[in-house]
Formats: sequence, structure tokens, C-alpha cells
Amino acid sequence: MKKRPIKFVLNNEIVEVYADPSESLLSLLREQLGVKGPKEGCARGECGACTVIFENRAVNACLVPAGKAEGKKLITIEGLSREARLKGAAAHPLQEAFVEKGAVQCGFCTPGMILSAYALLKANPSPSREEIRTAISGNLCRCSGYKQIEEAILDAAEKMPAGGFG
Amino acid sequence: MGYEIAENLKHALDLLRGNKSKAQVIAGATDLFLQGLPEQVVDLSGVPELTCMEAKDGHLYLGSSITHAEAAHSPLINEEASALAEACLSVGSPQVRNAGTIGGNIINAAPAADAAVALVGLGAEAVLVGTDGRSRRMAVEKLYSDYNCSTIDSSSEIMTTLVVKLNREEEGSAFSRFSPRRALSLPLLNTAVRLHLIGGRIEEIRLVVAPAQPAPTRLIKTEEKLLGFIPGKDSWDEVAKIASDEADVRGSLLRCSEQYRRHLVGVLTVDALQKAVNRARNAEGSS
Repeated sequence: MKKRPIKFVLNNEIVEVYADPSESLLSLLREQLGVKGPKEGCARGECGACTVIFENRAVNACLVPAGKAEGKKLITIEGLSREARLKGAAAHPLQEAFVEKGAVQCGFCTPGMILSAYALLKANPSPSREEIRTAISGNLCRCSGYKQIEEAILDAAEKMPAGGFG
Repeated sequence: MGYEIAENLKHALDLLRGNKSKAQVIAGATDLFLQGLPEQVVDLSGVPELTCMEAKDGHLYLGSSITHAEAAHSPLINEEASALAEACLSVGSPQVRNAGTIGGNIINAAPAADAAVALVGLGAEAVLVGTDGRSRRMAVEKLYSDYNCSTIDSSSEIMTTLVVKLNREEEGSAFSRFSPRRALSLPLLNTAVRLHLIGGRIEEIRLVVAPAQPAPTRLIKTEEKLLGFIPGKDSWDEVAKIASDEADVRGSLLRCSEQYRRHLVGVLTVDALQKAVNRARNAEGSS
């Protein structure tokens, strides 16, 4: 498809790129903008490694045509790091909890996992274990770290101030 | 024209009209994107007319662009169209549910698409408007021409609304499915039911299973047998057997055998029937 300017808010900054609106949002982020947090795993909406926050909701960036980003607000894992830095912290509470609880092994699923958890905690600051499992049900971890991931999200939920971190 | 974002319904129809059957509408695009987008696209996700959700004059009006997540978590849909809420909660993953729409679930025309199966079970009708200015209203099950083929031409017609009758007293619906995993897994079989009780007997019923035909299919004979059925007194086992015998299901090397699918028809229809009966009774209690 013919390229066109696409303007949106990425991690609290306005970005404008000249891109093919029919390419995936994932490729726009990774290849054009150098935002490498979202990963390409299956490229068909099954693994969740490309999860980003699109208008406050977790979506698979591999299934979103780039044209849909026009005028929208997106958050990637880079945005969470940035949010933490602006508050003088080394990392976002979710990122810290993942490290502390040993929820990261190879790390490929981690940005997507954390963003699914981020969307959950924004909507529901004190989720049950069952709610956490549902929230990350679209994110595969092949190092089998689900237990630690669940613990990390519970831990982060407890430590994050009510109303969320940023 | 390449990728256009429609601002409202008129704009969307104008864009289609201006591109004489070359442009196609998209909504969530979760299925379509994997198949490859058409060269010219009219994106409907920002069209306000397609996001309505209201109960009016005995009917529930649901915009075609409502996402599966919105439907699954809507108190109104949970109350008035429980089968649809349950079905939407079982689709894909949270990420897919946040993007995919109920209208798209029908137009993509997969034979066992969860939301579409629930909508057929509920007796929903779809309102469609064409670039020629005409509008039509069709039962959802009439919108399938073949496996994975919709009768809707996305270059000249837009599904705007799904219309479902509100529950009367002692009326309820339910959806049940079986899949190898709890998330990101297509159903081996799914079923939806809507029933109305009068004096403890089933007075009206719609019972649908999929995948069977290209469209979600009613089990007409089983429905007939269930008229006058008294839940709590009559035998569910017999219902399971009748449904299982009637369903026109096939086996697949990838999914499961015909025999197993037939077994699932019995198990799942009874499960959905029992849930719907409980809801119908509770509806009576709360009114």
C-alpha cells in the first residue's frame, strides 16, 4: 500500500512516520522506529511477545495494521522504563518484581508479559491469581516460568500505589 | 486512496462509493490482517454509529464494532444476552478480544466462530446498509454462503447493528464450548441456547451447534423434542442422545473424530441447556 504519514503518541511522545499503513504495527515499531521491546514470535497473534498497550488495552502489535495507530496512544516496555526514570526509579515496579521473583529466564516473552500485567493492573489494581492467569493467557512463556510470573505480578500489585504507577 | 479511516457511517459509505467495489471495510482486522489486507481499505473502528450498546423497545441494539472484550464485560450484555458474553470471553486471548469485533466474527464466517454461534442461538438479526442507500435486516444464520464465506460484500455493504430480543420473564441463554486449551484455542465444538420457560416447562427454544454446516446450525428436531420438557423432572440423558444423533458433525484429522464430536454435542448441549434454565429461573426470581 502507498506510504503515508502516520502520527501517534508513543510512550508519551508524539511521533510521525512515513510508512505503509498495511504493514504491521510491530514492524513499524521495530523496523522504522527502532523500538525493539515488542518481539516477533509467531506473527499470528498466538504468542503475545509483541503485546503493546494501544489506547489503554493490550493488543498484539503483529495483528494491528500500522494505519490504525493514527491519532492513538501507544505504550511499549520502553515507556514503562521511561516512566520509572521520570520518577527517579531504576525500573517500573512490574519490572522490578519480575527481576526479584525470578520471572525472567530467556526474556523473550517478558516485555509482552509485563505489558499484559500493566493493562490488568491499570484496570484492576488488586487482581486475584485467577484474574492474573486470565490476563496473561495470551502470552506464552516457553521457559515455563508462569508460576514466577504470577508471583511477580501479585508482588507488583501489592507494591504499586493505588491508582497505579504513573 | 489506500488506507482511509472513516469518521462516521456516511463517510465510510462515501469512501466505498467513491472507489467502486475496489475498497473494503475492516474493523478489528485480527483475521483479515493475516489473510492480507485488500489494497484499498476503509477502517471502521472510529465510526461512532457502530459502537452503540443499548436496550430499547424490547430489543438490545449492539454496534457491529463492539469488541469481544467490551461484549464480555458489559453488564447489559451479561444480563440480556448471557450466551454472547460467555462466547466473547472464550475467544482467543485478551489481546485478540481487545481488537476483534462481533461484526467481524460474523463476516469472517468461520463455521464455529464463538460470537456468531451465540448470536445465532440468541436469534439475532443484523442490520446492513449498502452504498446504494438501501438497508436490509437479516437473521445472522442467513449471512453465510459457504465455509468461511459471507454473503456480505465488504466493498458495498456495512453491517451496522445486531439486534437481539430482550429476555422476557423466565427466559435465559447460555453458551458452552470445548477446546484443547483454555486460551488461544479454537473450539472442537460449541453450542448456544436460548429458552423460555412457562410454568416450569420449556415453551420456546433455539439450540445451535457448530462446526456443522457453513453457518451455525439449529438442532430443529431436538428443539421440538424439548418443547414441554420439564427441567428437574425429565431426563437430560435422553436430550443428550437426541442432540448427538441429530447434529450433522464431521471428524477432522487435525481436530477430533466424528464420534468424539458427536459425544461433545450431547455433553455441551445439556451443559448449555442447564445453564440457560438456571438463568431463566433466576430472571424470574429477580423480577
